[in-house]
Amino acid sequence: MNKREKEAYLREYGVLKSQGKPFFPYAIAKDSVMAIMVMVVIITMSIVLGAELGPKADPTSTTYTPRPEWYFFFLFELLRVIKPPALVPLATIGVPTICLILLFLLPFYDRGAERRPERRPIATAAGIFTICAIGYLTYLGAAAGPPTEIDIPVPANVRSQGSAAVANFKSGEQVVAQSGCAACHKFGENGNAGPGPSLTRVGARLPAQAIQRTLINPTAPMPSFATLSEQSPKQFEQMVGFLAALK
Amino acid sequence: MTEHKESKSKYTEDRQIPGAFEGETVTRRRAMVLGGQVAGGVAAAAFALPALGFAVGPIFEKQDQPWQIVGNTGEFNPDSYVPRTITLVAGIGDAGKSTVYLRKYNPDLDTEPRDEYNSYIAISTLCMHLGCPVRFTAAAQRFICPCHGGVYDIVGKVNGGPPVRPLDRFYTRLEADRVLIGPRFSVNSELQRFSPRDPGEPLDGVGQYLYPSRPSMRKIQGT
Amino acid sequence: MAKLKTPTLPSNPLTSPKRPGKAYGPSTPLEHGAEAGITAVDWIDERTSLSGGLRWMMFRKVPKGTNWFYTLGSATMFAFLSQAVTGVFLAMYYDPSATRAYESIQHINNDVFLGEFVHGMHKWGSSVMVILIFLHMGRTFFFGAYKYPRELNWVIGVALLVMTMTMSFSGYLLPFDQRSYWATIVGVNINGTGPLVGPYLSEFLRAGPYFGATTLSRFYAIHMLLVPGAIAALMGFHLYLVAKLGTTAPPWVRAKSPDALREQKVSDL
Repeated sequence: MNKREKEAYLREYGVLKSQGKPFFPYAIAKDSVMAIMVMVVIITMSIVLGAELGPKADPTSTTYTPRPEWYFFFLFELLRVIKPPALVPLATIGVPTICLILLFLLPFYDRGAERRPERRPIATAAGIFTICAIGYLTYLGAAAGPPTEIDIPVPANVRSQGSAAVANFKSGEQVVAQSGCAACHKFGENGNAGPGPSLTRVGARLPAQAIQRTLINPTAPMPSFATLSEQSPKQFEQMVGFLAALK
Repeated sequence: MTEHKESKSKYTEDRQIPGAFEGETVTRRRAMVLGGQVAGGVAAAAFALPALGFAVGPIFEKQDQPWQIVGNTGEFNPDSYVPRTITLVAGIGDAGKSTVYLRKYNPDLDTEPRDEYNSYIAISTLCMHLGCPVRFTAAAQRFICPCHGGVYDIVGKVNGGPPVRPLDRFYTRLEADRVLIGPRFSVNSELQRFSPRDPGEPLDGVGQYLYPSRPSMRKIQGT
Repeated sequence: MAKLKTPTLPSNPLTSPKRPGKAYGPSTPLEHGAEAGITAVDWIDERTSLSGGLRWMMFRKVPKGTNWFYTLGSATMFAFLSQAVTGVFLAMYYDPSATRAYESIQHINNDVFLGEFVHGMHKWGSSVMVILIFLHMGRTFFFGAYKYPRELNWVIGVALLVMTMTMSFSGYLLPFDQRSYWATIVGVNINGTGPLVGPYLSEFLRAGPYFGATTLSRFYAIHMLLVPGAIAALMGFHLYLVAKLGTTAPPWVRAKSPDALREQKVSDL
């Protein structure tokens, strides 16, 4: 903004202000109505949702799945999607710091005189993009289940084979989930994308025998499930059956 | 050809300041301003510095890590892990405890040289990405972190996901036939011992200099 | 030097002139009460001159076109006030020690009269405040209200946003349930990933190499003294600047006919 634009703005604003209404009581009335609405929301939430406590803090736990409060989900998801260890400081410190600096300095690099959102296409687009990105990351963060949980709909061809097949599929799902496969593979909405390939449709790519062979003789870093096949062959069978049914 | 700029005299008398003494270089007003600022600064520092030191102090205090018994030699085997609860910070009940996975040294798995502190391998359950609780999954022979997708193999080396170094370990030693567990230490990807670091702090390459160890906890000298 | 003569004092400076239309002063009890109130306010104003500032704050004009979007800032402040008050009363029952914190919150929830209600207001109030502050920021951004001459107020606003997030973060360790504990561990370790200073920073936050006896009270002090104090101070400055610079008009509102207005002003003279 140059000096002329500043003058023009101040003059325009002075006129608008002189045509306005006094803060008290006109703006105060609106503010008070809004304050009542805020309190109604807070009190309703408090009554309806209460203030439940989770289980007491237990540092010895190895089964708890930590998740932050919802308004930090986007930061949480950022940590999940940035995988290479070398980029960890970027995800934890770098990106948030850069975003914060950009936010702080906004009025110093966006110095145009135009204020109407439809005439500031870059700023408006950037703002909408940021909101969408944070919203999307928040959604992903909220949907991220623990790697020991897989929730995949039973495929139609399994369902058509009767309830025994469905039960077998479900117990196979259980075995796969508890074996921690989702730590490296994606199963539909669950699991991590990498280092292993997505297994959402592995049954369509590989026959049951090939899956069994891979489980016993995998390529590193995938672990071998040979011990599982020796110690509890039934569970191993269910595991193979579940994976082969994913089409 | 140089433009000569008339330099200001450092003597107040020469600058025609009323009431100046001969040989005086600082006006009395200026001396008072400086004196006021210094006195105010000293007074503020007198409460700010002790308070700050009080808050920062714990960083430089060496923490005691007493050896504690975790079981008899017969309870552990070389092939799978047994979880044990140890106390990291005394006097705060359950909040000061942590879980450690223990097994016997296994020449087929462990590549580091044997010494008096590793006849039993004790692995911390804090993920080295950001400190979530990892869990050993026997079927997959992996440590799996529930937070951001970290996976470690059976000796604690990183298999996948964002963790920056293998899982931390604890010194162990034998006393008669009891296994004792001692201070924590961190390892780099070659399983060399380093003074303990926090999660998220890499030790390979320049990592160990970018993330210095702290006076509050060091590894045992010479290991 | 010749001295000026001291002016003669008025004969009785304390009697104020009679109010117009009132021949005999207050008569009904109500009027007496009102008079007493006015006298008290006058007494304070004579010694503080606050009425000028109050008038400046309250009777400044807000520009034409001011709509409901402009209530988001005051709504955020109101949510903060609600947090401050409920927080003070929660502090009366809360015990920031690693062994007693969880039990004291349980006690608040189960035994104290209205305990769970006030705890719930504080808990959900934080979410409401975070939403409101983001909406307020969004309004400021899309209306271009951060531009000249309000740049500094934007910077203060971002600082307030950061501090609000700090409050939410330091607050949710306090109930000391599983979520509190692990989220704090992760949050502190995030600070530790900063090169060189990070490790010392995380150790400072924990007051030691591990989550220890004083970690909770450290977070408690940050949550209820350090950051709220800073928020209140910056909020005051934020408000002062709002009053001084005026709230913006919506960007599409244009002054109707400045020329006509100017002419009118000239003719008034």
